Amino acid sequence: MTAVKELWSYRNLIYNLAQRELRSRYKKSILGWAWSLINPASTLLIFSFVFGVLFNSQAPDTGGSHQSSFALYLFCGLVVWNFFSGTLTGSISSLQASGPLLNKVYFPPACPPIANMFTVLLQACIEGGILIVIMLVIGNVSVTFLLFPVLLVFVGLFGLGLGLVAAVYNVYLRDVNYLVAVGMNVLFYATPIVYPISQVKGKVPSWVFHIYEANPLVQFVGWSRDAFYLLRWPGIVSFGWAATASIVTFALGAWIFTRKARNVIEEL
Amino acid sequence: MGDTPAIRVDDVAKRFRLYNERAGSLKEMITNRQGGRYSDFWAVDGVSLEVPHGSVYGLVGHNGSGKSTLLKMMANILKPTRGSITTDGRISALLELGAGFHPDLSGRENIYLNAAILGLRRAEVDKIFDDIVEFSGLSEFIDSPVRHYSSGMFVRLGFSVAVHVDPQILIVDEVIAVGDEEFQRRCFEHLFKLRNNGVTIVMVTHSLNLVRQMCDRAAWLDHGVLMAEGKAVDVVHEYVDKVDAAENERLEAADKIKAERDAEFADAARPVAVTQRPIVLGEIEALDGELRSSRLFHTFEPMTVRVHYQCKQPIEDPLFSMTIESQAGVLVSWPGMQPTHLPGEMRDGWGHVDYSIPRLALGPGEYSMTVAVHDHDGTAVLDKRERVVTFRVSTDEAVFGLVDLMGTWSGLIPREEDQS
Repeated sequence: MTAVKELWSYRNLIYNLAQRELRSRYKKSILGWAWSLINPASTLLIFSFVFGVLFNSQAPDTGGSHQSSFALYLFCGLVVWNFFSGTLTGSISSLQASGPLLNKVYFPPACPPIANMFTVLLQACIEGGILIVIMLVIGNVSVTFLLFPVLLVFVGLFGLGLGLVAAVYNVYLRDVNYLVAVGMNVLFYATPIVYPISQVKGKVPSWVFHIYEANPLVQFVGWSRDAFYLLRWPGIVSFGWAATASIVTFALGAWIFTRKARNVIEEL
Repeated sequence: MGDTPAIRVDDVAKRFRLYNERAGSLKEMITNRQGGRYSDFWAVDGVSLEVPHGSVYGLVGHNGSGKSTLLKMMANILKPTRGSITTDGRISALLELGAGFHPDLSGRENIYLNAAILGLRRAEVDKIFDDIVEFSGLSEFIDSPVRHYSSGMFVRLGFSVAVHVDPQILIVDEVIAVGDEEFQRRCFEHLFKLRNNGVTIVMVTHSLNLVRQMCDRAAWLDHGVLMAEGKAVDVVHEYVDKVDAAENERLEAADKIKAERDAEFADAARPVAVTQRPIVLGEIEALDGELRSSRLFHTFEPMTVRVHYQCKQPIEDPLFSMTIESQAGVLVSWPGMQPTHLPGEMRDGWGHVDYSIPRLALGPGEYSMTVAVHDHDGTAVLDKRERVVTFRVSTDEAVFGLVDLMGTWSGLIPREEDQS
């Protein structure tokens, strides 16, 4: 509880660190902020082409306008993935980068990873905003859009929980960083982003499918598609499981981090 | 406030692990498991002290004595391995000025960032922003990126932020020795102002003068162990005594090496050919009040310079002189015998002359002595020993500059006409 109180008193620092990151990110580049759109757009384009055109993946019909768009179906998943992946990997790098500073001034070491999460969150909001605008244009609109902020909260908690643990152990063992990189690669394809979850269903034994489904990210991507694409609310089981998993992950991660972080500073 | 001290350090120890070969990856970690390839190093070992509210506290000690580690623990940056540190009040630490400045951001943006690192809220920064800029003297450049700043401008901005965050406890690590003289002066003025406002200041410094001038209390650390703690003047005195002893040895050793080296060239360098030289200088001794040989003297205490000579043929009224130079090469004094001062005729053999100084009015520092002997009208140099003795002067009193003019201040005396 004291840790939470302390972080609250340093909220201005978190704000400033995030602001520093955002302000300095696109300094000295001509396109500047446009890059934050060009980057996901290019990924979307490539994936749409490779999986939608070459592999001929089919997306189901949208819930409102009853048309099928693999690109939009993909985009719903990518928004979630980008936010999760940016939070997790950014936690590691932001703590490492703050090493020299933490050795000079005291502040809660959780501030840089949290600030990083907010910068990634901003990006996620922009992407979500674009998604909403497109959906408005094609007339696929519903009150289920309101799920998006809730989704962001849980994905953020899940990513930050894992990120905090990875960040603190990465200080002792640089292997963690590489391990995370490999893990992210596996996780990307173990999450139904570039394919619909229905593709997995009959192709693997049911116990494997249960494990697959237990990954909260699978649920989060599902929520995103429910909210933006299929325009329906996620099932109560999916919601209950993923929400609980993300809160537990975050609590565990924060607990490990607070216990370890103070000893880590001198190793940074 | 009350009776609780601003900082209480209770039996604090800090261990660092020195890894012989850092286990940087998983494989190494596993394979080295049994080896335990590190050695423990106790940077601070069992230190207890209290810093009272509103006091200025100095930490002295040679390099590697654990001062900075202790300071970092006080600032909550490092966690003690053993013992506890409790602080009462908001701490601002000046361990490195401008830490956390982002080169791409403007001075203005960095002020907000830096103040946030020091724990301030935005509204609080808004209030002190103008003061910070004014103090730093960088108002023209405040909107350009700090990467274009000179190193001096960088630390000026850093210092300005750190001292304006209204700390209750300020922790300063040898950072004041930056910037130009003008800025340094303002730094000190500001520190004095903070002190007068009741801010507790803890500083690490190598300047003993600063400790004497500013600090109420001080602690002396040596290899992580607390050697002395108490009134600043007493602690410095004790520290100086110890350093003096070590310094004495060092200076004597250095002189010995120099003497040996000089001996090789001595004959070639001497002004008059050895064979014709009627008088040769021997050992030059620096003696303290009890006429013991020393390399360490204290301001306002007696000193005697004893010059040994060997007379090879009778010579009339030789004149001895000596010069004292500061370490920077400034000629401080050049006392010489006047022709009116007639030592008389010298006979063959060894003897010595003394130059006695009842009260040595030199400021603290290192000085070297050159001794020469001339003929009776002072024109020909018969023998000369350049910088033959190096000695050190330390002081417990406020002596600034190279010499004390031994004057006294008096007053205040009102003007005559004002009296009527």
